[in-house]
Amino acid sequence: MFNRNYKEKMIESVLFSVSALTVVILFLICLFLFRNSLFLFNDFSLLDFLTGRFWYPTSVNRQFGLLPLFFGSLIVTVGAILFSVPLGIASAIYISEIAHPKVADFLKPFIEILAGIPSVVFGFFGLVVLVPFVQKTFNLPTGQTALTGSIMLGIMALPTIITISEDAISSVPSTIKQGSLALGATRWQTIYKVIIPAALSGISAAVMLGVGRAIGETMTLMMITGNTAIIPSFPGGFLESVRTMTATIALEMGEVPQGSDHFYALFAVGSVLFIITFLINLIADSIKKKYRFKVD
Amino acid sequence: MGLSSKTSEKIAFSLLTLATLTVASFVLVILVYIILNGYGAISIEFLTEMPRRMMTQGGIYPAIVGTMYLIIGSMVAALPIGVIAAIYLNEYAGENRTTWLVEMAINNLAGTPSVVFGLFGLALFVKYFGFGPSILSASLTLALLILPVIIRSTKEALLTVPNEYRESSLALGVSKWQTIRYVVLPAAIPGIVTGSILSIGRVAGETAPILFTGAAYFLPRLPDSIYSQFMALPYHLFVLATAGTNIAKTRPIQYGTALVLLLIVLGLNLIAVLIRRHYRNKLKI
Amino acid sequence: MTEAVQNVSQSQIEVENLNLWYGEKQALKNISMQISKNSVTALIGPSGCGKSTFIRCLNRMNDLIKNCRIEGRVLIEGKDIYGPDVDAVDLRKNVGMVFQKPNPFPMSIYDNIAYGPRIHGANKKDLDGIVEQALRSAAIWEETSDRLKSPALSLSGGQQQRLCIARTLAVKPRIILFDEPTSALDPISTSRIEELIMNLKKDYTIVIVTHNMQQAARISDYTGFFLMGELIEFGQTRQIFHNPQERSTEDYITGRFG
Repeated sequence: MFNRNYKEKMIESVLFSVSALTVVILFLICLFLFRNSLFLFNDFSLLDFLTGRFWYPTSVNRQFGLLPLFFGSLIVTVGAILFSVPLGIASAIYISEIAHPKVADFLKPFIEILAGIPSVVFGFFGLVVLVPFVQKTFNLPTGQTALTGSIMLGIMALPTIITISEDAISSVPSTIKQGSLALGATRWQTIYKVIIPAALSGISAAVMLGVGRAIGETMTLMMITGNTAIIPSFPGGFLESVRTMTATIALEMGEVPQGSDHFYALFAVGSVLFIITFLINLIADSIKKKYRFKVD
Repeated sequence: MGLSSKTSEKIAFSLLTLATLTVASFVLVILVYIILNGYGAISIEFLTEMPRRMMTQGGIYPAIVGTMYLIIGSMVAALPIGVIAAIYLNEYAGENRTTWLVEMAINNLAGTPSVVFGLFGLALFVKYFGFGPSILSASLTLALLILPVIIRSTKEALLTVPNEYRESSLALGVSKWQTIRYVVLPAAIPGIVTGSILSIGRVAGETAPILFTGAAYFLPRLPDSIYSQFMALPYHLFVLATAGTNIAKTRPIQYGTALVLLLIVLGLNLIAVLIRRHYRNKLKI
Repeated sequence: MTEAVQNVSQSQIEVENLNLWYGEKQALKNISMQISKNSVTALIGPSGCGKSTFIRCLNRMNDLIKNCRIEGRVLIEGKDIYGPDVDAVDLRKNVGMVFQKPNPFPMSIYDNIAYGPRIHGANKKDLDGIVEQALRSAAIWEETSDRLKSPALSLSGGQQQRLCIARTLAVKPRIILFDEPTSALDPISTSRIEELIMNLKKDYTIVIVTHNMQQAARISDYTGFFLMGELIEFGQTRQIFHNPQERSTEDYITGRFG
């Protein structure tokens, strides 16, 4: 019997050690990203990196200014969110409150297909369909613009926003709904006066995760936004070419000599990206924890 | 408000319906467009031949093989770790700081951009461990990416195993681990398989993590060891569409590659959905 | 509280001053009871009275619940099962349990029965015999002998519950605990299980929790009445039902509450 207890304890410790690996991995990611970034700041000031307006990594007078890349990511993400949040929340309401259950059962997995399509396929589709379309519509020299990226990225963020919002809306207890209907409110009044407010924090979590998804997207944007590292104006910048933080890393990492300042600068951009998504996840997580209704 | 509540309800519902139809049409348009343009390019030769003439002709065989290697490599690394971590979290972990830390780590790994995984893979596997740009480095990088997916889906699968199974096994004088091993895990297998298939789809489609960890623009022959570089479907599509020797001329190959990739990923997703449907009601007592 | 009526020297389970807390909430208050060998003891009381919590102390199933604290002693065959040298896993081999809802594993009928013996190291060639013996003892052999390989979940609810009894018997316990075993079953299945329980008492000591007073009256030798975590009255079933000493017992039995 003591032999068995010993064995059970051993198994538990092994299982624990393996699950603790996830923490180790996260720690190693921080360590390797930050350590490689620090090498940049031997020769280059952190302030200049964070506030620099120019990204000229290969010119004689090298400059590693984050701002054009940061604002590139920002404008594309803002555009994507403006496009996908209303559409996504509307669809989530339709699926959970209005559609016939059979229709909803079809629509949910159908929209989920978007989550499965590889980003390089989205990028390819954007390149062959959306880029020429944007170019013609707005009569531009090139269709590879922030707007193009925003639209494509918005489509990619839709499944995240819809699935999580739908979940939040469905988890509003039906007693609340029935209470409102029993007072003579119409279904629509019940939806926007009772259900949406009740599901609001879940919906906000969905939006946050959508932002996280958008800001981290790489391949699609690299293929359709033109990759010009200039701080975009607003809102005119939507019709200009931009370069995001993710695209910068993906584009340049293949060509830089390892151990150069440029190499470390890309790690610094990666660190910024990591910190941003880390914070977004933390916020989304804490919002999500709050919204769960206690239903027995 | 000038409108009667009935009228405003009608307008609102129409708008919501329109929004949903728009979203559904995105799915439909993308799928139909790739299928219509791609299916002409697909043939047995396309799937089984090497690229020829600077990739302007021939097939995508090495890219398919490379993607297969990545799938196998990353699953071998991530599946056992993910399943074990999920078992610990669902069956053993108490509500304490350590558990919170592990859950937090998993959530953040799930939200970390794939290009950051690529950077990390480059720094740790390619450089620090000295695996070089290789199948090994890329597989391990992808394994980190899908680890949270596997942990989450396995946890969910374990959660659906009724507690009655655990109790009645323990009541027979069976130890906790034996109960997990012989009752809980077998009952959770469909859910674990579903999660694994979804992560295979993810591995097949990801590009950013393999950019600096071993994906090659073009290789004249198939990889011969885990330390070789490789071609992969998503990277192949990216290269042809943006940096090929003749982008316009290779359009048919691009469409074909996109379709093959799409079929693999969506086929895997479909299988996962079907397995989930099939077993959804089987576990209820 | 009335003193237990039976001969102390024959009792197989002795509970002394048992207290149990879930966190801050006390669920069992100072329970003492003696349960004799080869008898059926029924525990009755309104829901939430602690009878199920109590029965789960006898095979230490409460160990699985977080924040559960137990004081007092439970002696089985003279040995304190909460003693430092007692292993809950070994204990449960001797003290089997049948649950409220029939809960066969998602395996074949045969594998359900063989599950316990296999893990406890039964010889492969003995398994067929063990399975048949257990199914016969649980009065379900006739219905299942020709389809041992079919899934246990294909059986009816009543059959599933007898299968679960057989599964418990296959581990060869000396005591069997029944936690409302018929509350999810139809009347015909219920009477088959009751009949089975009465037959099993030849070889086993049986403790059964039930919300059905007629069932307690029909099948048990001794009855304990629980109310709000206390054992109000314990004695021979006939006496409890015909001549209860406590007012609240009488109220409950005559249906005035609960």
